[in-house]
Parts: sequence; C-alpha cells; structure tokens
Amino acid sequence: MFKLLKEIFRTGEATVKYPFAPLHVEKDFRGKPEHDPEQCIACAACTVACPPNAIAMATDTDAGTRTWSIDYGRCIFCARCEEVCPTDAIRLSTDFELAVTTKADLTRQAVFRLARCEACDEPFAAAKEVAYVQDLIDKTAPSANEAARRRRSVATCPACKRARDVATVAALRFDRQPEETR
Amino acid sequence: MNVMSKIRVGATHLAALKAALPHAVLDEAWQTDTQLTITVKLNQLPEAVAYLYYQREGWLSVVVGNDERKLNGSFGLYYVLSMEGEEKGYVVVHAAVPEGKEEFPSVTPKVPACVWGEREVRDMFGLKPIGLPDERRLVLPDDWPADLHPLRKDAMDYRLRPDPVGDDETYTFVNDSKQETTVIPLGPLHITSDEPGHFRLFVDGEDIIDADYRMFYVHRGMEKIAETRMGYDEVTFLADRVCGICGYAHSVAYTNSVENALGIVVPQRAQAIRTILLETERLHSHLLNLGLACHFVGFDTGFMQFFRVREKSMTLAEMLTGSRKTYAINLIGGVRRDILGEQRTRTLQLIGELRVEVGRLVEMLLSTANVDGRVKGVGILDPQIARDYSPVGPLVRGSGHKRDTRVLHPFAGYGLVDLGINVGEGCDVLSRTLVRVAEFFDSLSIIEQALENTPAGPILTEDFTYQPYKFALGFTEAPRGEDIHWSMTGDNQKLWRWRCRASTYANWPVLRYMLRGNTVSDAPLIVASIDPCYSCTDRVTVVDVKKATQKTVPYKEMERYCRDRTDSPLK
Ligand code: SF4
Ligand code: SF4
Repeated sequence: MFKLLKEIFRTGEATVKYPFAPLHVEKDFRGKPEHDPEQCIACAACTVACPPNAIAMATDTDAGTRTWSIDYGRCIFCARCEEVCPTDAIRLSTDFELAVTTKADLTRQAVFRLARCEACDEPFAAAKEVAYVQDLIDKTAPSANEAARRRRSVATCPACKRARDVATVAALRFDRQPEETR
Repeated sequence: MNVMSKIRVGATHLAALKAALPHAVLDEAWQTDTQLTITVKLNQLPEAVAYLYYQREGWLSVVVGNDERKLNGSFGLYYVLSMEGEEKGYVVVHAAVPEGKEEFPSVTPKVPACVWGEREVRDMFGLKPIGLPDERRLVLPDDWPADLHPLRKDAMDYRLRPDPVGDDETYTFVNDSKQETTVIPLGPLHITSDEPGHFRLFVDGEDIIDADYRMFYVHRGMEKIAETRMGYDEVTFLADRVCGICGYAHSVAYTNSVENALGIVVPQRAQAIRTILLETERLHSHLLNLGLACHFVGFDTGFMQFFRVREKSMTLAEMLTGSRKTYAINLIGGVRRDILGEQRTRTLQLIGELRVEVGRLVEMLLSTANVDGRVKGVGILDPQIARDYSPVGPLVRGSGHKRDTRVLHPFAGYGLVDLGINVGEGCDVLSRTLVRVAEFFDSLSIIEQALENTPAGPILTEDFTYQPYKFALGFTEAPRGEDIHWSMTGDNQKLWRWRCRASTYANWPVLRYMLRGNTVSDAPLIVASIDPCYSCTDRVTVVDVKKATQKTVPYKEMERYCRDRTDSPLK
C-alpha cells in the first residue's frame, strides 16, 4: 500500500491536455499522405503499389483526362506510395487528425490532361508523364538525332508503335530466324 | 539470389517414421534446412502424425488444407509438427485427398490437438474427416449454404456474402458434466477487438462444471482476400493487420514464409531489426496483459499505472517504425527503415526507464494483499492436457513445458542473442503472469543485445525472383506464443494459398479444461490469463434450466462481480 502511494505521488499528473493542447508525435511518424499535383506526373506507380487500393486512377478518353484520387478512408498509412513515387509528389505528413463530417471529404482528386499520339491523335498517356520522359531523354541521349527519334517514340501510342515497327522491319527485309534468336 | 542449401534437419525423424510404418511414406522433400515435408498414404495419415507427435516429441502447429486440384487433381492436407526433441525443426506430414472422394481419416482420435484444424478444413474445403467426433462447424455461420466451401478455388468470389436466411442459432454447446447444471452464456457481441466469442458456462451454484465456447463471429476472410485480390508482396501489410496487438509478429511470420519458400537470404541487419521490433511489440503486449490482470483482480490503480508506463513502449514503436501499432516495416527480403544513431540512443534510454519503472510496478503488484489469493491455484492447465492439445506461449510455459519458438527454432535475429526459456510450475494464472513478467525483462535485454551487436550492411535485398508453386513455413514467437504461416506462391505474383494461424487459435481448445472446477467469478480472470484478443464477452445471459427462466446480466456486471466478488448476479 505504501509503495503504491509512493508511486502515485512520484507520477504526479499523467494525463495529457490533448485535444486542448497539441499532441506531440515522433518526427518520422507516418500520417496523412499529402499529394502535390504540381509535382505529380500521373505515372500511377503509387496506384499499383498501394496495398489497400486507396489510390486510384480513372481515365476518361472522351474528355481527354486522367484523374488521380486518394481515399483517406482506405489508406493504411504504409508509405508505399512515398517509396515508389519518382517525383516526390506524395509524402506522408505527421498529421493524424483526419475526422470529417461527410465521407466525401475523405477523398482528394487531381485531374491531368492526356497527351495525344503523334501518329493517330488518340489520347494515350498523361501529358506530364510524356513530358517528364522526354525531358529525361534530352538529358541522356547520345546525340541530338537520337534524342529526336526517342522523343517521337515516347509520344507515340503503343498500337502505332507496333504498327510502325512492323513496317520498319518489313522495309529492312530482315530475315528473322526465331529458333536462333530465342 | 534464390538459394537452396544442403543441410537436412529432420532426417532422423524420417528414418524413424519409415521404420515404424514401413509402407506409409511416399515422398519427402526439404523446403529449407529445417523444414521437411513427408508425403504419406492417406489411410496411414493418423498413424504417421500420431507417431511423430507422441514418439518423436512433435507438437502440432497447424493443419493446412489446400485446393491443389488444378495442379495435381487433389486436395492437399498438411499437418505441421514442431519437433522439439533431440533434433529440432519442422516436419510436415502431407497427404493427398483425391478429387471426387473428398474424405480422409481423422487424426483427432489419436492426437486431440488436430480438432480445430480438421473442423476448419471441413468448413473451408468440404473435406470430410471420417471419425472426427465433433461434427459441428468451426468457422462458418449456422445458416451458411451447406455446399459452399469458401477456400475452394472454384467456390466463390471473395466479395460474396450469402444472404442470411435465419436468426436461429443451431450450434450445440457441449456439456460433459454428469450432473444437472445451470447454463450461463457469456457473449458474444462486443466488437472492441478482432475476435468476439460466445461462452457457455455450465454451473452448479457458483462452480463451473464444464464450459464450451464458439468463436469466428467476425471471420474476416483474410486468407481468401490474400489469395485472390492481393499481390504476394502486399500481403505483408495485410498480415500486419491480423491482430491489433501482435500484428508485427504476423508480418514477420508471413515474410519469413515467403522468404523460406523462395530461398531468399535476408540480410543480417534486417534480421536484427526485426528482432528488436518483435520484442518492442512484446513489451507493450505484456504490459497490457499485466495491466488487465490488475483490473480483473480489482486492483484498478495498478491497471492505470501499467498502462501509463506502457506508453513508453508505444513511443518506442512510434519512433522506430513511424506508427504506434501497425509497423508496416517489413518487405519480402528485409525491412524498410534502419535504426540509426539517434534512434539507438533513445531506444536505450527508454529501455532503461522501462526497466526501472516496471520493476517498481511489478513489486507493487506482487506485494498487494489480495492478488496472490486471487490468482494462485486458479485456472489450472494440467501439463498432460497441454501435451495433448499443443497450446503455445506463456500459457504452455506456465505449465512447465519448455516451448518457445525463439529458442527452439531461432528465426529473424534470435540466433544473435542470448536467451533462455522462462517456465513456471504452478500451471495457474499466477504462474502465467510471472512468466510474462520474466519475459518482459528478457525482452529489454534482447533489445539491448541486438542493438549492441547489430550487424552492419544492407537492410533489404531485392536480388531474387518470384517462382511459382513454392511453399514453406514462416514462424515467430508472438507475445501469446507461436504464430505460424504456411504460404504457397501461385503463378501470377500472387499466393496460391496462405494459411495463417495466430497463437490464440492454438490456446482456445484448452480453455475448457482450465475453467472446470473454478468458480464463476474467476471465469473472466482465467480467460484473461490466456491473454486472448479481448472483446470476447459483452453480456451474460443466465439460464436456469431447472426453472426454465432466463435473466440477462450486462457483462460489466459480470466483470464487476469478478472484481468485487459480492452480490452475485446469479442469485
Ligand atoms: S500510405 Fe499506403 S495506403 Fe496510404 S495511399 Fe500511400 S500506399 Fe496507399
Ligand atoms: S507515383 Fe507520384 S508521380 Fe506517379 S502518380 Fe503517384 S504521386 Fe503522381
């Protein structure tokens, strides 16, 4: 009994003032993911990595848009998105106070424009993503000619690329021998 | 790099089995150095399991069912045994049940520990255990369609929920008492945690004559989700959520199972970090249980004090992982966060504080006048019952059995630290509580040792390839005992099968024997002493069979009675 009393006096006041005073969290705490649409290139790496499907991508070819969205109600704060994002567009903050009064407020969206294929003019990938890759090419290609060729290739949709490859191969009259090349 | 080594632990067990049952063994294969799967003839399955269990010091870890019809035209049954005698390792007895003749001889009459596993296989795969005395469902609700077996590959989409067709509970609770008894149902619905359960106590006056219970009211279908919707690398994060207390233990067990199956060599530093975090988890879990033990004996000040100090272990987790509870630190192949200088210093500081403060609290608890009286000799788990049912963790150690996965089958970084097994001989609530106290201080020392000798190097390897249809076990010693996962990869970056067995699953079957012979007011205390995922009991309905009357008592009242032991609500 005496020990108990001593312990109680030693402890003093243990209750924290929260929510009337802010609550301290550790500096590497994983809280609400914050998305920066300026940085984002709509590459969908986070969408693929997110285990509970909190991040989604919806493509509307008629409108020529791709919509990135996050549902904080599904998020498990694992930071996989942060880990895979090539442009640091999504980062986990230390914010943990996520209560809202309507469920819709748990969703955030960002709408991106789709680029059109150089050959067929159909929308096929986010314009920013194409621009991002072209930018990388400019910095790494061995020659100006090669850079131009690669830029064109990136700006072409997969279907047209395939068609063009077939045409190129036919023009070269290249005798393929699948058994040996395998 | 996927590695296969040539060490073959378990060869003596195999040789002994072949000698004892000359024509039973059809095939054998090692998944890792210490994991051997022996395929036996279906009709000799019970003899093979029983031989390894009782003659070779095997303990049953889990029974796994697997729908392999697309792969080889049969269902697979895997009885996983933890071999704890001279040669330690895991031996899995496998038998194939051909499609079209979906039954197998039950092992339960020879090895009682198999009872839950076989009931679950019957529910989930529709394989009939011939000779299994218990014909009741285990997992599926009473009104679930008779021929719908959720884990069969062709059965259903993971989102399907058949409409409920009736409210009647047709489940029969078993009462083995010879005399006339009164029934006290406890539960089910108080979903504060992940496993509500419904208890029925059969009492004579205040004495419990027998008890039965039913779980799985909120079965979440995690195995089905993992097998159908998720990639094998994402399941790590699902495993983190198997339990709200010891989720990290599951995450490690899962990643280990895949790493073992694919032969991935996890860097030593990652292993040490896993060990540190597993022990951090044990710290908070044991403090939680010690706090609740205070609460249940009516010592609420102690409860408050333990929970106050427990915050330090939560802070430790938050600092090291970025989250208080769901650590999300594992990836297949290693961990995602390193422990650097600053975190190391603070960890050591928090460990030091915890040692002093918990030391004081434990002394206080044990010197409190009525504590000894309430917990000594209560809820006895007979060592022989324990041997027959293979319970795990502080529960089985409190009954004198030296079972601790960390020591018997060192995983993660436990090979790097010095550790013994704490056992108690009292077999009662007190004994289990003292085992937890000792383990708490061991955990502090393990963290210190692991921080002291953390190997240098990378914390993650990505140098491996996913291979189809590989399977192996992964295991950890969670705060409540061994968690074991059996995973088999599919062919599309997914899992073909994931069997996840939480420690408490292995502990429920013996609870019945621990309740017998105690008084009603001790029931909550005994249930708490296995440290189940709490939640279980919401309210109490008292049924007096003799008078055919029914009276409902709120669970709070039952709990109050356990603490105060005055004004029996049964009067
Ligand atoms: S933190 Fe995890 S769950 Fe949340 S959005 Fe990112 S990847 Fe998805
Ligand atoms: S990974 Fe980054 S850049 Fe790509 S869509 Fe997600 S937030 Fe945008």
